[in-house]
Amino acid sequence: MTGEAKLNNVSSKKATPKKKKIASLDKRKARAGWFFVAPFLVGFILLYLPIVVESIIYSFQRIHTIQGGGFYTEWVGWANYQEALFVDPDFVSTLLTGLQAMAFDIPMIILFSLFMAVLLNQKMVGRAAFRAIFFIPVILSTGLMEGIEASNILSEYMESAEGIEDGSGQSSAADIVSAIDIQRLFANMKVGQELVEYVTVAINNIYDIVNRSGVQLLIFLAGLQSISPAIYESCQIDGATSWETFWKITFPMISPMILVNAVYTIIDSFTTQSNQVMVFISKVYEQADGNVISAAMSWIYFLIIILITAVIAAIVSGYTFYQRKGE
Amino acid sequence: MNAENMQKPRVMKESKNKIRVEFERTSLKERLKARFLNVSFLMNIVWAIFRYVLLVGVSYVVLYPFISKIAASLMGPNDFVNATVRLIPTKVNFDIYKMVFIEMEYMKAFWNTLFLSASTALIQTLMCCVIAYGLAKFKFKGNNYIFYLVMFTMIVPHQTVQLSLYMAFRYFDILGIFQFLGGGGITIFGKTFLQGVIDLAPETSKIWSATGLNLVNTYWPLIILSLVGLAFKNGLYIFMLKQFFRGVPDELEESAYMDGSGVFRTFIQIILPLSIPMMITVFLFAFSWQWTDDFYTELFFTTTKTVLMPDIIGIPTTLETNYAGQSLYYAAIRNTCGLMIIAPLVIMYLFCQRFLVQGIERSGLTAD
Repeated sequence: MTGEAKLNNVSSKKATPKKKKIASLDKRKARAGWFFVAPFLVGFILLYLPIVVESIIYSFQRIHTIQGGGFYTEWVGWANYQEALFVDPDFVSTLLTGLQAMAFDIPMIILFSLFMAVLLNQKMVGRAAFRAIFFIPVILSTGLMEGIEASNILSEYMESAEGIEDGSGQSSAADIVSAIDIQRLFANMKVGQELVEYVTVAINNIYDIVNRSGVQLLIFLAGLQSISPAIYESCQIDGATSWETFWKITFPMISPMILVNAVYTIIDSFTTQSNQVMVFISKVYEQADGNVISAAMSWIYFLIIILITAVIAAIVSGYTFYQRKGE
Repeated sequence: MNAENMQKPRVMKESKNKIRVEFERTSLKERLKARFLNVSFLMNIVWAIFRYVLLVGVSYVVLYPFISKIAASLMGPNDFVNATVRLIPTKVNFDIYKMVFIEMEYMKAFWNTLFLSASTALIQTLMCCVIAYGLAKFKFKGNNYIFYLVMFTMIVPHQTVQLSLYMAFRYFDILGIFQFLGGGGITIFGKTFLQGVIDLAPETSKIWSATGLNLVNTYWPLIILSLVGLAFKNGLYIFMLKQFFRGVPDELEESAYMDGSGVFRTFIQIILPLSIPMMITVFLFAFSWQWTDDFYTELFFTTTKTVLMPDIIGIPTTLETNYAGQSLYYAAIRNTCGLMIIAPLVIMYLFCQRFLVQGIERSGLTAD
């Protein structure tokens, strides 16, 4: 570092001093920047890129195992993709239902986490306790717990009114009672079947939605913290109601976070292990010996994710408000 | 009191620093009325009630599965056939805990997982800090593209690269160096040269052979992935930390540079201590997600020689029954395993949640 500094001094004496020095500082900072990101770059180029490329190559191949151990590969071109899209009876339908479920879940998650973040950002007694409770799912309900929860007959049993167990492995109380109650309530109100179903599905999924909105809640809360209190103060002085303040101040200021969360939610819910399509793909991966159709499936799936993420990011970013346009 | 006094409050006492003024106060009744009997106060009350009902309700949704798991874990097999027993067991029974503890080798799994999670989480936190700092505070050509690459690693579902990921660590190699030194020669476009010229790999080594290093069933795959910021959800950590570092004012570093501190010294002595709450947040995530992870552990630990947390989920042989209620009892056992897995995390969370909330408050994530 000192050698470099000396060099700079020498060079700055010769030519126009001020300009040269700034340029060299920038250069030095750029070099330091490369140094900081070097671990990632090295890992990406040496480890991740070969893995990704190999995985793409696998999806065009068929693997034959040799009996003594080892394997050899055969190039089959688009056959795996063709099989995934046109031959396999379940893949396309699983994909479509998965996408449908996402279309329902993602807006729910974003709305829920935004709403909860606004609530948890207000000053009140027990705020810290509530926050601590709300982040529990992020920490605890992932991975293994998700696996346990996915096929859990226990929670249904606990909620059911009469669950006589006959040892057959099926609890007679398959449905959650509260959902039936609500269905009945709405049916009496005569508001239309679609709305009833939407609400019922939302209520049945509330645990799922709460579980999956932890990180989003965190990002929204952090975003809300960064809005200057002075803006709210001046709004209050000008006589704006809190409703107006929310739509005119909070919402535009938080809109970049909505973009971030939309992208994160899409990626997260598409790649989580409990996602139907992911479950399907890993099932195919496990049962196929030598057949790498699962690789083809997951690349198709990946392309769809990228496409959806890009489209939604483009749409949302059109409505996003940036405070510092210049940056 | 006359009109003149009303207009001009009477000064009771005057000293150098204090004065006491007597003036006509509106009566208590009027004041209370003004304070409590208006629309805005009522709205506030209604809103507060609504808010608490909602928050308590959602907290219940969050906590209920844990409550029901704890309740079920204390039940005996008879309680599941009894239709009158729901959340409260007839007799508190610690059999399941005891058996899982003894038969499923809980302590072994605990120490192994603790070592694995702590080391990878620590490495991930530090490396993500370094990478994120480079992305946030230094402008160089390709800065944005590198960030896109980070996002790319996040978007590719790990199932997609599952097979190749396994292969990469089953036959681990960096540019063919280990293969060459292990006596495997150099492979270029499918053809192998110089086979057996050098063979440094010890005969007894289970890891090193002519096909490279076999890192499966060791901790190395996860540590290597952590070192280069490619482990589970590291894209998210890098993003969070990058946003955090952007919020740190540049003047701080500039003044450090002015005082003659180098870039790295500034990073270690100024920036890192500043970002401790955020680092704890990231550490908490990395630790607990590694702790409950089953994808990577099942991928890289193919034998049961190293007992990790996923291996303890199962039915202890002494608890096997064939009676009615079997499936529910087994479900309860599996849930108890889950509870025992997350118990250490709960304890850690109780200590760290303060930092989590603090980390959020200080982060001031700004959008780019």
